[in-house]
Amino acid sequence: MLTNNNSNKMFFLFILFFSTLISISSNSWFGCWIGLEINLLSFIPLISNSKNLLSVETSLKYFLTQSLASINFLFMILIKFSLLKNFDMNNIISIMMNSSLLMKMGSAPFHFWFPNIVEGLSWMNNFMLMTWQKISPMILLSYYFNKNFLIFMIIMNLIIGSLGGLNQTSLRKLLAFSSINNLGWMIFSIMISENLWLFYFLIYSMMIFMMISLFFLMNMYFMNQLFINNMNFFIKLNLLINFLSLGGLPPFMGFMPKWIIINFLLINKFYFLTFIFMMTSLIIIYYYIRIIYSSFMFNYFKMKWVNLLMKNNMSLINLSSFISISSMILSTFIFM
Amino acid sequence: MCFNSFFFLFFFMLINYFFFVYFIMNGLSVFFEWEIISFNSMSIVMSILLDWMSLLFMMFVSLISSVVIFYSKSYMNSELNLNRFIILVLMFVFSMVLLIISPNLISILLGWDGLGLISYCLVIYYQNLKSYNAGMLTALSNRIGDVMILMVICWVMNYGSWNYIFYFDFMKNDYVMFIISFMIIIAAMTKSAQIPFSSWLPAAMAAPTPVSALVHSSTLVTAGVYLLIRFNYLLIDMFFFKVLLFLSILTMFMSGISANYEFDLKKIIALSTLSQLGLMMSILSLGFPDIAFFHLLTHAMFKALLFMCAGVIIHMMNDIQDIRYMGGLSLYIPLTSLCLNISNLSLCGIPFLSGFYSKDLILEMVSFNSFNLMVFILFYLSTGLTVFYTFRLIMYVMINDFNLMMIYNLYDEDYIMLNSMFVLLFMSLLSGSFLSWFIFSYPYMIYLPFNLKLMVIYVSILGSILGFMVSNMGIYSLNKLLLSYNLSSFLCLMWFMPNLSTYGLSYIYLNFSQILFKNIDMGWSEIYSGKGIFNILKNYSVFYNIYQMNNFKIYLFSFILWFMILFIFFFI
Repeated sequence: MLTNNNSNKMFFLFILFFSTLISISSNSWFGCWIGLEINLLSFIPLISNSKNLLSVETSLKYFLTQSLASINFLFMILIKFSLLKNFDMNNIISIMMNSSLLMKMGSAPFHFWFPNIVEGLSWMNNFMLMTWQKISPMILLSYYFNKNFLIFMIIMNLIIGSLGGLNQTSLRKLLAFSSINNLGWMIFSIMISENLWLFYFLIYSMMIFMMISLFFLMNMYFMNQLFINNMNFFIKLNLLINFLSLGGLPPFMGFMPKWIIINFLLINKFYFLTFIFMMTSLIIIYYYIRIIYSSFMFNYFKMKWVNLLMKNNMSLINLSSFISISSMILSTFIFM
Repeated sequence: MCFNSFFFLFFFMLINYFFFVYFIMNGLSVFFEWEIISFNSMSIVMSILLDWMSLLFMMFVSLISSVVIFYSKSYMNSELNLNRFIILVLMFVFSMVLLIISPNLISILLGWDGLGLISYCLVIYYQNLKSYNAGMLTALSNRIGDVMILMVICWVMNYGSWNYIFYFDFMKNDYVMFIISFMIIIAAMTKSAQIPFSSWLPAAMAAPTPVSALVHSSTLVTAGVYLLIRFNYLLIDMFFFKVLLFLSILTMFMSGISANYEFDLKKIIALSTLSQLGLMMSILSLGFPDIAFFHLLTHAMFKALLFMCAGVIIHMMNDIQDIRYMGGLSLYIPLTSLCLNISNLSLCGIPFLSGFYSKDLILEMVSFNSFNLMVFILFYLSTGLTVFYTFRLIMYVMINDFNLMMIYNLYDEDYIMLNSMFVLLFMSLLSGSFLSWFIFSYPYMIYLPFNLKLMVIYVSILGSILGFMVSNMGIYSLNKLLLSYNLSSFLCLMWFMPNLSTYGLSYIYLNFSQILFKNIDMGWSEIYSGKGIFNILKNYSVFYNIYQMNNFKIYLFSFILWFMILFIFFFI
């Protein structure tokens, strides 16, 4: 990356989108692997910035883990081709293939790189990492998975996502652990049907987009930056609504996908798993409410040298609040 | 405002007087019914019963209240919100009138509840801590009576309507009537401050003096007696009437003793009211409702007068109510001391004042009919105690030396207060004979032996001598006081009933709830939920962080480790 202008980014972004499409629409496993490799190759230039040491280190870490995962994936594909010529899914090789895909996504127990890396990326790169990069591994997961193994992974994801986020003050790490938690929900949804996963994923990415764009516009990276008193009221309100929506509180948009997934859990008689889903959700919500309660309701000292006004490019904030609040009710008009 | 209400109530009294004379001469009794709304089979009907008893009582109530309002124009003239006070008094009178004229239980309940609530507002009128406590005690004690009447309403629905007067003849031996009579007696006991509920009457003296004159001498506390007089036909043979006899005699006796230990002027008068209420209740429970009514009316007259004199004296003494600071006032304030003396002597039952007619008749009826020894002894003993504390009061206030300050101004020429007291003085002199000629169309036949007839006089003389002697306490008699400390405190503090009925009832529950709160709410339930779970989760999170903060190669190595674990694990 010699220069930092937008045309480079646009080029690599285009290849990134295309690589995902290659991966999910290929006929053979080899094509999937090709897509994953091109994904890795095109994401690295997006995130590396040779003027910033942290950014270089981050891109190196990302490269190492993802390439390890890709190698594993290729190896397991070849073992499956040569040794196991069957069609049933719940066997040992599917465990290995799923493990490598989970490593690609940043799901537990292979998640240790994920909070590290998000700490080094900017907000928009984080957005790409948390949303787009999950598409192709998840869809590949749905082609060949091991049910028992994946349920175990779901439980680990949920617990690590909720417990790990309790002790964080950096907003990026917080959203990373929240993303790991939501990965648990998404893995379950993809075990049910791809349509359900798409629904969950779209709503989740919309919520993450609203939050990340808010943080990006206000240039906020840490929790104590949220406690500034002269934030515009609508910005604070939007933050409140988005956090609560991400946690899954009822009148907001984020409740709908979680509700539908719990519905499917109960239909398929996963009672204990439902309990774990709900309890970890509570821990996540506790942490969100702890942040926004302090920043929204308490009266901190007015810092005079930071002035968070409503900028010109924040006009979509009102619209996003409106969407978060009303979309559950409006959806009943669409779907019924 | 004062003048208008005074004239209105005086005029109302005159109307009631003329109607009363007409009704009692012709033996009339009128029952009005006003149908408010009538729906298919349900109708709401407001009914009013006017017979000689209700008209007479209304006349007395309106007379006393008109005089009291006129009196309070001068007594409370430094009050900023005098209009509020007068409106409260007028609402009180209205509730009392509603209680008097109602033949059915719903309007009795309206009047009864109105009396209780407005007396609460009047007791807390001076908004200081003592008034608040007194008001709370008054309101809650009265509330028990309200609940009892509500339950009576509930039980009387068995008979189809709430007009109780129609059911007395037919339903006397019914089980439902048994329960109703029990509850009515309890309600009357709370309102008239008999023994379990008698702690509110001395405490309610925190009210302004006109309020005490109207409310706590003649109207509120007699509402219970009036209710029992109305229900008398029902209650005559019931067992609880005997219980009421027992309790009211004890009330009479206890308050007579406690009044001897008191040094607060208004509390002495309150305890004397309590004693006379016990007398009224006891003669009612012996089966003589008309004598009880007679005593109720005469007592209203001289007690209201007594309270008003006390109010004048309190104003003069610079708002001090302690009788040890007063003395020798008969030399300086002749007109007020005239009123005070006449009402005191009427209370004692000195011949041919108004109190004599009712009290002497009561005592002679008790002696003539054969009741048991305890009734007899306690009646006469309480009469003696009445004279005892009355004479003690007269000695302290009127006769001994003046104890307040060197320079004093005892201002007697306040003619507004004096004129109102003169009206009551006139009535308290004449109402005894006047009422006895009206109420008793033929006198009671009483035939007693000589000494028994004079027993009243013996007891009164004994009481007066004791009253004289006890108020001459010198310095040398004070060093033996500690010998009788236990007995004195028992007798002085109204046999510990105020403490028992307030602190004694709530002590166990408050203690227990404190134990529960400290051990459970702020103790174990914090560990097993709330803070405990938070600590567990926080420790888990801290524990997890140890794994998160590592070198990168450790992460990669852990991936390999996980691979192998999962591989082996799922082989098994």
